[in-house]
Amino acid sequence: MSQELIDLVVDMREDEAVKLAEKLLDEGAEPLSLLDDCRTALGIIGDRFAAGECFVPELILAGEMLRQIGAMVKPRMAAGEGGEQKKLGRIVFGTVEGDIHDIAKDIVVFMLDINGFDVMDLGVDVPVARFVEAVKEFKPQVVGLSGFLTLAYDPMKNTVQALVDAGLRDSVKIMIGGGQMDDQVAAYAKADAYGKDAMAAVTLSKGWVGAK
Amino acid sequence: MKIIAEKINGTRKRVAQAIQERDAAFIQNLAREQASIPHTAWVDANAGTAPQREPEDLIWLVETIQSAIDKPIALDSANPKALEAAIKVVKTKPMINSISLEPGRRDIFPIVAEHDCPTVALASGEKGLPKTQEECLGNIARLLEKTRSMGIKDGNLYVDPLAMTIGSGIRNGLIFFDSVREIRRQFPEVHITCGLSNISFGLPARTYINRVFLALSMQAGMDCAICDPNNHDIQTTILATELLLAEDKHCLNYTRAFRAGVFNKPV
Repeated sequence: MSQELIDLVVDMREDEAVKLAEKLLDEGAEPLSLLDDCRTALGIIGDRFAAGECFVPELILAGEMLRQIGAMVKPRMAAGEGGEQKKLGRIVFGTVEGDIHDIAKDIVVFMLDINGFDVMDLGVDVPVARFVEAVKEFKPQVVGLSGFLTLAYDPMKNTVQALVDAGLRDSVKIMIGGGQMDDQVAAYAKADAYGKDAMAAVTLSKGWVGAK
Repeated sequence: MKIIAEKINGTRKRVAQAIQERDAAFIQNLAREQASIPHTAWVDANAGTAPQREPEDLIWLVETIQSAIDKPIALDSANPKALEAAIKVVKTKPMINSISLEPGRRDIFPIVAEHDCPTVALASGEKGLPKTQEECLGNIARLLEKTRSMGIKDGNLYVDPLAMTIGSGIRNGLIFFDSVREIRRQFPEVHITCGLSNISFGLPARTYINRVFLALSMQAGMDCAICDPNNHDIQTTILATELLLAEDKHCLNYTRAFRAGVFNKPV
């Protein structure tokens, strides 16, 4: 573990963090330990975001650092070393039918991705049937429904109902989020939970797949 | 500069409660407070309720608001049924908020055409929010083809180029100002508006960003904003910017506002 690398990522010092990672690798550091450091840093950044001390552009920059360091680490890992880090779980995500908002959805998908989930992003205005199909194909543990407008309430409810009708409801946990959503809407749509921001989506998903 | 006053919106918890409990006094206070600002051109009414309840709730909002103020209302809904219902009871010609190329908004165009209403026209396309400036301008050009073919006057359109948050792209401010200039150039008759606070989403100390964004957008040619007219920073920024852009003859609005205490620090 390199406390220095963790600190640089947390302090948003992109160039220095990337340079240090390179140096550590050249000196023979364990590639996987660098990724662990990045995740530790990301956890701290996530907590700061939740506490209102750190903001969306910084989440994006943190993801960018993780990507760069990840790209550096990958070719140095011995064949058969597992290559890709083991994913925490699979998530199907999309903005429900009739709603085309994607800004917040993209941030949530991004945060889930850099926190170790394998995310299938269905995009916006996703028909109910497409969600059902994706759950069959991809076999996720979690489904995320995003919507900005009040008009998204019913499509959310219909999507959950369609998963019930297809006999898939018990195989997934469903979270909703977006502009006008709250716990009452989650109850109305018969989803399992409402998440108020990207970190909430990560926390909920980790809880459901049993990751810490 | 015209303001579409945004506070009567059922997606805000306290307003939702007032709509549910039919608390007319609360809504009327909000209407009066917003209408008292000279720049307020329309007071927005958004019921924010589920589609089945929305027509009934929007009618109640309209009747409640117009019993308190004379300024026109902006009927804010994506639901044609709610708009049709509300337009029957509205006393002064309303604004419709909003039309766009999104499939769900198709049935709102005929309402705008029939009633010859001013309307907010969003730059979103059939497949979502524009990702680039080209897409934004392309959507607006196609939207205008459609409104013109239906006999909707360009001068009735309040085009919203949809500002993207600066937090997800550092050039999003520049892109917005450029879009405003380009819309002005291509379609000189249309008005240009936007939801003022979107630009600062995800960032701290948002009011500083919002008010400078407002000034720069006005300089680029934006002549309307959807915002809280009672916000001290917004009021004072509009007054100063209009002065600097030669839109305040003899500086009278500015000096009058000073005498009326508008520039005193709010307590």
